[in-house]
Parts: sequence; structure tokens; C-alpha cells
Amino acid sequence: MVRVLVSLGALLTSIETWRVSAAMRGEIPGTEWLFPIVETLHVMALTLVLGSVAMADLRLLGLGSRKVSASRLLEEVLPWTWAAWFAAAVFGTLMFLSKAHIYADNLQFQLKFACMGLAALNMAVFHLGPFKHVERWDSGVPPLAARACGALSLTLWVSVAFLGRWVGFTTT
Amino acid sequence: MLRPISQWLAQTPVSKILQDTPWVVPTSQSIHIFAIAIVFTSVCMINLRLLGVWRRGRSTSELVIALIPWMWRGLAVLAVTGLVQTITEPARQFGTPAFWAKMAMIVVVLVMTVGFARAVRRRAEDWDRPSARRYYPKVFAVVSTLLWLAIIACGRFIGYTWSAYS
Repeated sequence: MVRVLVSLGALLTSIETWRVSAAMRGEIPGTEWLFPIVETLHVMALTLVLGSVAMADLRLLGLGSRKVSASRLLEEVLPWTWAAWFAAAVFGTLMFLSKAHIYADNLQFQLKFACMGLAALNMAVFHLGPFKHVERWDSGVPPLAARACGALSLTLWVSVAFLGRWVGFTTT
Repeated sequence: MLRPISQWLAQTPVSKILQDTPWVVPTSQSIHIFAIAIVFTSVCMINLRLLGVWRRGRSTSELVIALIPWMWRGLAVLAVTGLVQTITEPARQFGTPAFWAKMAMIVVVLVMTVGFARAVRRRAEDWDRPSARRYYPKVFAVVSTLLWLAIIACGRFIGYTWSAYS
């Protein structure tokens, strides 16, 4: 355990010496605005993650898009979620490289990733659980288990957004 | 001219109370981002549908009728949280061209969107058939997407470009 932590620390230290990390810190001439630009792209991507997740969750809660069947709505919005999440992860990784140690030690950053882990778990539970029998409730109000998954997902992703914004205030 | 307004606003009791409550700005910004998420996702879904990039799922008019009300709700939240941030830190907002560019683009995109939503509601079938009105929907989709991207970018850059003056 100790050895793992020591090598993790060494990895973070070595990451900070990378050229891309220096560029993300604006230390290479011409890269002064790189971090704000990457951060803006991260924001654009994450708004699409949050928006598409919110549409899916509101449908599961029976609060929105009730005219569309649940399976059709999920089929429509989830490709957006995945594509945008991938983009947000790429830009987020670049931001992480700039100050790997500071982010890794930041409580809000750790909580943000814990929330995303729980959101992933929640999604797996939903797909293996209530969504298996979607044909029984596709056009109506989803059953309690599906509504619970929707509520949990929305709560977790709102937390991810708040914690992400909070990371910016606690790492500079 | 803006400096006295900014100074006066920063001296008002409401602004002072908000300034003295450290969680106000981060919380308001987080809610602001969530509201942008609702608006921008709706915008992208409608616009990619208009461009024909996104063919699955609902038709243009179905998307417009379902999503435009959510856009207005999101915009109302954006206006309230944006106002809270401006009252709390007027110098931060008024001191950068990014803020004024953002406001100007919001006015343009809102006028465009109101006109577009009305046109779709009036003659839904024209917008759902890909052959009809080939040209105008695509121009609207490109311009509106670019404006929203620029609005988000300016919003983020307010935080990087404001020159403190009090």
C-alpha cells in the first residue's frame, strides 16, 4: 500500500515535468492562454454531458419528455452523453496535467471523481435492473426503481458540476 | 461612465451582503453552468437536427416543441444567477469587453430563436420535410450554434480578462 502511494506520488511528480504540463501552466512562450482555452472547451463539453443526462433523468422521473417513450429518448440522448463525456475527459485530463499534485490532493477533486464513480455504478444498476423490462413501462411513468436511478443520477451529476466549479476555487 | 455605476452598485446594501457571503458566487456560478447545460444541449440537439447531422429520434418540430420551453426556463435561471453575480462583483463584469460581447450576442441569439420557434410552430411540416426550406434552417443552425459557443467562451473569459477597478 505504502509502495503504491510512493510510486503514485513519483508518477504525479514526473507528470508535472512533461512538456504538455508546462504548456498547460503557460510556461512555454505562446501558451499563456492555453489553460483558459482548454478550460472553456471542457465547460462546453460538460454542459452537453449535464444537459443530456438531465433530459434522460427527467424522463426517468416522469417529469419531462413524457410524450416520447423512455427507450426512444435514451437512445436519442445517450450518444450525446458519451461523446461529450469523452471530450470533457480529454480536456479535463489536460487541465489535470498542469498541476497533477494539487488536483490529486484536492478534496473537492476527489469527491467529484467519487460522485462520477457512483454515477457509473448507478447507470450499470439501471441497465441491469429496471431497464431490462423497459417494454413494461416504456410509454408510461417509470417504476419506482427507475425513478430512484434517475433521481440518484441527477443528484450525482449536479454534485459533479458543483464540485468541479469548486475545484477551480480551491486550487488557485 | 461605467466606473461610477460599478462603484455605486458595489456600495449598495444588497451587493455588500452578497460580497460578505463567500459561498454566493461559486454556488451561483454552479447553478449558472447547470442552466447553460439545459439551454446549450437543447440548442445543439435542435441545430444538428436542422443540419441533418443527427437523423435519429424526433423530428425538428417535435424537438422544438419539447425543448424550447426548457430553454426559456434555463434562460430565466441564467438571468437570475447572472444578475446575482453582477450585483456581487460589478467591476468584474463591467470591466471586460468579454461581458459586453456576451450580452450583445445573447440579444442577437434570443431574437433569432424567438423568430425561429414561431416559424416552426406556425408551419411544422415545412421544417420536418428535409427537401423544403433547404437553405434558411441550415444558416440558422450554424449561426446560432456559433453564437452560443462564443457566448459560453466569453462567459468563461470574463473570469480571466476582467481588470479590477474600484
